[in-house]
Amino acid sequence: MQNAKDSFYMALRTRLAAINPERTILLRGAVRPGILVEEAEAPFSQLPGDVFVLRWLGLGAEMDLPSIMAAGQCEVIYQTCGTQSFGGLDRGRALSEMDEELLAMVQPFFTPKMNYTSTPPAAMLTQVFWDEPVFTPIAIQRDRLSRTASVVVYSYQEQGE
Amino acid sequence: MGATWFSAPAPVARRVRAYFAPVNRATQTPVLFDPSEEGAFNLDAPPAPWIDLGWIQDFVRKPASKSAALLTGIPAAPLEQVRESLGAQVSLQFLSWTKLTMALATGSQHMNVLAAASGAAPAADGAQAAPAVVPQSGSTSTSIVLSASDAAKFTPGSIVAVDVDYTSQTGFVGAPVSGAYVRQALTDVDYIRRVTFNVALVAQVNAAGLTFAEPLPGGAPAANAKVQAVTGFVDREGGSFYQEWSALFVMQGSQGERIYLHYPRLQPMSGAEETVIPLNAKNHNGQSRVLLKGQFLALPVTDPLDGERVVCYRSFVPAANALV
Repeated sequence: MQNAKDSFYMALRTRLAAINPERTILLRGAVRPGILVEEAEAPFSQLPGDVFVLRWLGLGAEMDLPSIMAAGQCEVIYQTCGTQSFGGLDRGRALSEMDEELLAMVQPFFTPKMNYTSTPPAAMLTQVFWDEPVFTPIAIQRDRLSRTASVVVYSYQEQGE
Repeated sequence: MGATWFSAPAPVARRVRAYFAPVNRATQTPVLFDPSEEGAFNLDAPPAPWIDLGWIQDFVRKPASKSAALLTGIPAAPLEQVRESLGAQVSLQFLSWTKLTMALATGSQHMNVLAAASGAAPAADGAQAAPAVVPQSGSTSTSIVLSASDAAKFTPGSIVAVDVDYTSQTGFVGAPVSGAYVRQALTDVDYIRRVTFNVALVAQVNAAGLTFAEPLPGGAPAANAKVQAVTGFVDREGGSFYQEWSALFVMQGSQGERIYLHYPRLQPMSGAEETVIPLNAKNHNGQSRVLLKGQFLALPVTDPLDGERVVCYRSFVPAANALV
């Protein structure tokens, strides 16, 4: 499933860079598109705002198929306090903007599966695909608005995986 | 040069996309889908003359062909099977209301409600229409050249029908889609523009004419075609006319594989019917979506390959690198 997780993240990251190049994060000394995988970074005491954080949770597998199908549940967590220039009064708009970016990022609902452990990344034989995101209600913590969208990502296991 | 491969499980698809094309009723010629030449077409830009009707839901197809056993011996036992009857049915729900989806989801002809002439007597399918205007030379499928005074009769956002006058002919009328069958001569000069599928939304109006949001389905206006404003659409329960269309349904799998279901001849087999679905399943008294429901009977064609009569072709284009 790791190749599928990597491919899903890279697809969303590439799409986000095209949808909103302004949404970036300075992480480990590098400016990157504003999306990261929580388990691939140092632990956060507080998740960063105005970026998308992917958190991998459940895993399932269908073993009886000609190729095993794995399904991973990915939570996309994002939060914002709005902008300083508006004193945070635009936090609702800022979260709506992230809602729309996420909806745009997940389409189309598939991407080629790649092996990112090799350099350059190697194209595999199958495609990773996923369902429509399921959004939770907004959570409010003082001036911080946050939301989680859950996406189930599917992948066929290939030889050597 | 070698290839690697994988064992592909059954296709996983999210939804079904529908494309329709008019059967030439006068020559009884359906539109054929050729998977060898068109099997990889861009789903957003189907090959002509297929018209994209978008995603559909609740697509169900049922084979209605019946086989029977030829029995022989004592006690009787099947010797062979024979096909007693040939048929198939298709049902679906359209996710939008357009001229074409409405027409497909009704059992009879589908008409444009032409803008009424001032003071005209009421009629159930539209009063006597305001006079049509004549396009000038240089008109195309996306723009109509009009005199400034004629252009001023239209507004951006309005709908127009573009077709020829009715001149007492009988038989199938309308091109490229036969919109009706006239059994005896009528008196309404606007009748063809009432049943034509050559309609478009006006995006812009200026002194030189009209520009459309989408091309006219029939292409550039025919010689002698005229333009009339349309205020809506109307169909009827009853009547004797059956529309006939060629249909193509596509399911694209998660690995890029495609299932094509091609029905060369489909006729609606029920009257106009809607399905009402609450937007919030927990609140049946709230807002509901009204979907057009289409039910079709598949009619046979003779396959020139071997002379067999068939009602549907199912094609499968496997995913790249999938074992077959």
